[in-house]
Amino acid sequence: MVMQQSTSSTSVRKAPARRHNKGRLMQEAAMLAPAMILLTLFLILPFLLSFWTAMTNQPLVPRPTPVRFVWFNNFIRIFQDDLFWTALWNVARFTFWIIPAQCGLAFATALLLHQKLPFRNLLRGMFFLPAITSMVVVCVIWGTLFQYPTGPFNQILGFLSGGAIQPIDWLGDPQWAMFSLVLLSAWQAYGFQMIVYLAGLQGIPDELYDAAKIDGANAFRRFWHVTMPGLRPTHVFVLVITTIQAFKLYTQVAILTQGGPKSSTETVVHYMVRAGFEEQKMGYASAVSVILFVIVLVIALIQRQLLRRFDV
Amino acid sequence: MGKRLLWSLILSSALTAPWAQAAEKTTIQVMHQGDPGFVAAYGKVAERFEAANPDVDVQFIYAPHDAYNEKFSAAVMAKQLPDVMELDAPFLANYVWSGYLQPIKPLIDKDLLDDMTESNIAQGTYPIDKDLYALGLTDSSVVLYGNKKYLEAIGARIPKSVDDAWTREEFETYLEKLSKLDGVKWPIDTFRGYGIKTEWITYAYGPILQSAGCDLIDRKAWKSEGTLDSDACVDALAMMQKWVKNGWVVPQSAGTNQFFAEGNPAALALGGHWVYAEAAATMKDNIVVLPLPKFGAKGASPNGTWIWAVTKTSTHPEISGKFISFLLKDKEFRTFAASQSGYPGLKSFAAESPLYATGGPMAIAFEQASKTAVARPPHPAYPTITSAFMQAVDQVFNGGDPKEALTSAAKKIDQDIEDNDGYPPFGDGQ
Repeated sequence: MVMQQSTSSTSVRKAPARRHNKGRLMQEAAMLAPAMILLTLFLILPFLLSFWTAMTNQPLVPRPTPVRFVWFNNFIRIFQDDLFWTALWNVARFTFWIIPAQCGLAFATALLLHQKLPFRNLLRGMFFLPAITSMVVVCVIWGTLFQYPTGPFNQILGFLSGGAIQPIDWLGDPQWAMFSLVLLSAWQAYGFQMIVYLAGLQGIPDELYDAAKIDGANAFRRFWHVTMPGLRPTHVFVLVITTIQAFKLYTQVAILTQGGPKSSTETVVHYMVRAGFEEQKMGYASAVSVILFVIVLVIALIQRQLLRRFDV
Repeated sequence: MGKRLLWSLILSSALTAPWAQAAEKTTIQVMHQGDPGFVAAYGKVAERFEAANPDVDVQFIYAPHDAYNEKFSAAVMAKQLPDVMELDAPFLANYVWSGYLQPIKPLIDKDLLDDMTESNIAQGTYPIDKDLYALGLTDSSVVLYGNKKYLEAIGARIPKSVDDAWTREEFETYLEKLSKLDGVKWPIDTFRGYGIKTEWITYAYGPILQSAGCDLIDRKAWKSEGTLDSDACVDALAMMQKWVKNGWVVPQSAGTNQFFAEGNPAALALGGHWVYAEAAATMKDNIVVLPLPKFGAKGASPNGTWIWAVTKTSTHPEISGKFISFLLKDKEFRTFAASQSGYPGLKSFAAESPLYATGGPMAIAFEQASKTAVARPPHPAYPTITSAFMQAVDQVFNGGDPKEALTSAAKKIDQDIEDNDGYPPFGDGQ
């Protein structure tokens, strides 16, 4: 039924289009132009330039020594730098932790707020609030919460455990620093995933639940056999978005740990910014950005494959 | 309708255009950093300067301390360099080499130039052409502050001058004794709380390496491998690692003022001269100022601070120089700087500061400047030198292998120099 309708409507639309083909084309081009110009200027061109810069020894600010073409030297150096691999490994570690933490939290709150609770919309707003709070502000506040040895988190832990748990150096201990950033990041950003899940939940037709009820399915079975399959594309989308966001981890690191202690929170973006702006090696930093781009591209391609498999 | 809106827009923007009023006045832009106290003091100096020179308008551009170099780079790329800029002394070589600053001698009052201390001249001089590019009212140093009560409790020897500074053995023995003393949570605060991305690490810990008999880079060949990763440096960093491991050092996340915090949890403090004002306010007579210990055959201490320069692109170099001269001579500014325990870079300022005069509580800091001060490497690769060293120190303090960390830092520094063809004319016999 649905298919038939759509084909018939396209054929209706296509007929006049063929008649004014040229005018239509011009119209489309004119409508596309502003977006294309902006995209080219601010996205495609800088991107091509960064490819070019990655193969030079371009400094951040003009210098008396000539800028040379160094081919793949920057890339070779990056791959030889242990710190880069540490940064990549850290980002992978961060991603590995943040996905269950952030998506799990988002999924749980979305399920909760999908119920017919009193003040449901107010609650949704409250849970979404951290996501629209600036990360910088969140970091400054959490920096105080994390304080060692007398910060609120340590006080609470000490109180709850009756003094059995020693104060944790959340941001100063290489064992803990990344985990602390995961906690903070998950809390700050889960609101976005929550909204996506809520939209996904609302997209599941009530009839399916009614039918399941008539078939005698209990709450758990309804959740497992109706909700979960209905959310499959949402799950994939959330997973991929979270992964890509996780690879761009920077603000929290820049404000709270500056890559330390012992490089345990060094990330690819932080590594790039350090090379470009502190050490003034723009060519080198561009090469890092190209590598990051390739990584994110690969993730995006996997995303497309997954989405296709789940028929979205 | 649309046309009328357009015209009103054009008209209103024309009315508020800056050229409408700025025509009669000369504007100089001054880029600076500083804590709120100093920022306010600069503002007041500018008001007085404008009152004395009614045809000049001083415009301040504030760039926060932590991102100062980044902000400066942005100004360079946007071709919007200010006329006057404050800069951190070790970055001077990089700025001059890149061609941003102009020699300042012809622009500054002669009596001020004659008034400069040796260390002040050294920090403002570019080693290649030996010309002066910047100067300041102040200089800086790091000393060892001690809590008198605690030091008496362990029977520590109190050095009276730089020459009889503690040796490495004495220092470590005292740290150990202090660590067992009641009331002492950490024997020493080395101000790790300043973070791992500030100049503090190279500034304050670099001299420990120099005192131990090595350096960040060979200052003749301008090569770091073989110097920064030498046994002496590895040993010095391993020593500091041991202090941290033993729990003798205030951890980074515990904040920066544990020496004079309530209850005095730290017994010693390896702190800048600026710590004195705050510490003396809370600890009164319970504070002793000691020279930095000798970790090898000789002592070493840092110097250098934020100094004033005139950029090459300045269209009003004379007025810029006049402003700097005015600032450094300003009585009220000097009084404020002295109240912040400002470290003298001018002889006349030293005479006005009882803190640093012979017999004054900070006299040892001033003595260090003439006897043991070692400037940070005056080389255009300094941004990379300091960044690489900071990362190495962070590695080592958190349990990394000192040899490995220093080797990779040295390699990074030499690569940067190589990338810039040796920063000519550095490296050829200089």
